[in-house]
Amino acid sequence: MSAELISSARMGDRWGKRLLIGIPYAWLLVLFLAPFALVAAISLSTVRLGMPPFEPLTAWDGSILNLRLNFENFLYVLTDDTYLLAYLTSLKVAAISTAVMLLIAYPLAYGIASCAPSSRSLLVFLVIVPFWSSMLIRVYSWMSILRNDGLLNALLLKLGLISEPLRILNTETAIYIGIVYTYLPFMVLPIYSNLVSADRTLIEAARDLGCSRISAFWRVTFPLSWPGVAAGCALVFIPVVGEFVIPDLLGGADTQMIGRAIWLEFFNNRDWPMAAAVTIVLLALLVVPIVFFQSRPPRAGA
Amino acid sequence: MQSYISIENLAKSYGVVHAVNNINLGIEKGEFFSLLGPSGCGKSTLLRMIAGFETPTSGVIRLEGTDVTDVPAHRRPTNMMFQSYALFPHLTVGKNIAFGLQQDGLDKIEIKKRIDDVAEKLQLTALLDRKPAQLSGGQRQRVALARALVKRPKVLLLDEPLGALDKNLRTETQLELVRLQRELGLTFIIVTHDQHEAMTVSTRIAIMKQGQVLQVGSPANVYEAPHSRYVAKFLGETNVFAGGRAERNGDTLQIDSNEAGGQVRATFTDRVALDAPFWVSVRPERVALATSGTGLEGTVEQLTYTGVERHYRVRLNSGAILDARRVNLGAESDLGVGDRVFASWPPQASRLLAE
Repeated sequence: MSAELISSARMGDRWGKRLLIGIPYAWLLVLFLAPFALVAAISLSTVRLGMPPFEPLTAWDGSILNLRLNFENFLYVLTDDTYLLAYLTSLKVAAISTAVMLLIAYPLAYGIASCAPSSRSLLVFLVIVPFWSSMLIRVYSWMSILRNDGLLNALLLKLGLISEPLRILNTETAIYIGIVYTYLPFMVLPIYSNLVSADRTLIEAARDLGCSRISAFWRVTFPLSWPGVAAGCALVFIPVVGEFVIPDLLGGADTQMIGRAIWLEFFNNRDWPMAAAVTIVLLALLVVPIVFFQSRPPRAGA
Repeated sequence: MQSYISIENLAKSYGVVHAVNNINLGIEKGEFFSLLGPSGCGKSTLLRMIAGFETPTSGVIRLEGTDVTDVPAHRRPTNMMFQSYALFPHLTVGKNIAFGLQQDGLDKIEIKKRIDDVAEKLQLTALLDRKPAQLSGGQRQRVALARALVKRPKVLLLDEPLGALDKNLRTETQLELVRLQRELGLTFIIVTHDQHEAMTVSTRIAIMKQGQVLQVGSPANVYEAPHSRYVAKFLGETNVFAGGRAERNGDTLQIDSNEAGGQVRATFTDRVALDAPFWVSVRPERVALATSGTGLEGTVEQLTYTGVERHYRVRLNSGAILDARRVNLGAESDLGVGDRVFASWPPQASRLLAE
């Protein structure tokens, strides 16, 4: 091969690499940064009647370009108790349901990972099989299960465990049930994939050095599974904070989560700038846990 | 008398596969004992049963006379050094070494003292705050050794401990292991497939094949006096010829060998029945080659120079191959490829082998 051919092959190679790296960046630009910039712009605008229902940020005044940034929405969001409460409720619901999911998902993932390789894939399949039907349909089924005259109450009454139907639907409990049910697979899968690739010899080494099965778990297996736990927590915590459908359908009027607040601003009040400002503050709040999980030292020796 | 470690009729089957098939062994206190064999011979399974990681299908393991067969791994006074070292990646070197001591509930001062002690012995003092990922292969190997030794086990089990090291470091580490073992007076059991390693470190070697122990003895004993063709061939190189009619002449046997194309001599023994098929084995370094005289006649087919020695591959007139080695004493070789040679050796150098 001549020198020119080699160098042109290398050029092609380099462009190929750039293209490959460029695709995810283009994806982020089009599907994340551009919409985010739009929302940020709207949040600094002023509401008006008409379509679109907000004032443009810039105005051309013959020879002067006017830029009007309205921070009133942010001041309102940050000082109004309703929003503060909604943010706190969302964080609380997300934190508690993440903890509950961790308590359910870890043993589940551990159990699957301990099974023979031949049965593992079936069990993992069973974990993700609910995704095959629409989430909305599954939430509606929960409504019919949790209703006062629903399946759960009918069963409990029949068994004689209760004498009067429990009011579960339209309470915070129903929100937790719905969220834990819907998001559980996102917690199970990262923990499972971490545990299944764990080095079994390390457990033997711990046992050899005097650990019972239980202490070997706490001293070796659990600390080494932290990356899986962190990934699972991040994967459920972040979307749950902004969750709208489940609290709207299963929760009551007394549990106001931030996703619902945004929806109300947007569709009921048609106050797009306010909805956008609430969204931007929410995003800023979520960056904190993301940075926290990202900055954890990577697993040594991996 | 009961041995320090006594393995009685030990067997382990996985379904129809007999990984370990009715093994009896006695290992004495302070021995450096090798389990040597090719992969799949059951040596690792045997070691793992001694450690308590595998439950025997049948048989008994005794340690100082006590039956430990059903004692779980974490309660046995044995410690294992794993082939992959199995260092805990989330803990520093110091905490890896402390792991077993903390588990035993020792107080902090005692733990620190023991760690410092073992770290000095194994030149790990400067590395105590590092994570395993930051260590070289040789350093990891020493940490794994320290972690097992710091528990002061009655028996240290080593599963192919040097397999991941390069050749020079390996030789160095073998000598280091022997020094440590003598110094501490501990009993070591090592699993290896490397016959050279087994010869270097061991007081005694058990040669295994297909779940059974074929022969146990000191390195010199198993090398000089193998009981079977398999052992003779597994430990070092050897020439083996099928023996024919044998005639006793005092202490010496004159044996006709069609395979060798002539007569070979051996010291008389009643260990091998001469009316059943038998073989004569001779180590290449015992074979003398001369351009004239008596012995098996042949032609030098290949000559290899390795520095330490010269290796002659001789095609005998019978068509069989005979290997001979000569230590390099500085002189040029007087033999070259294509030369006619006569190969001979003293009767004591012959070893008679049954099947």
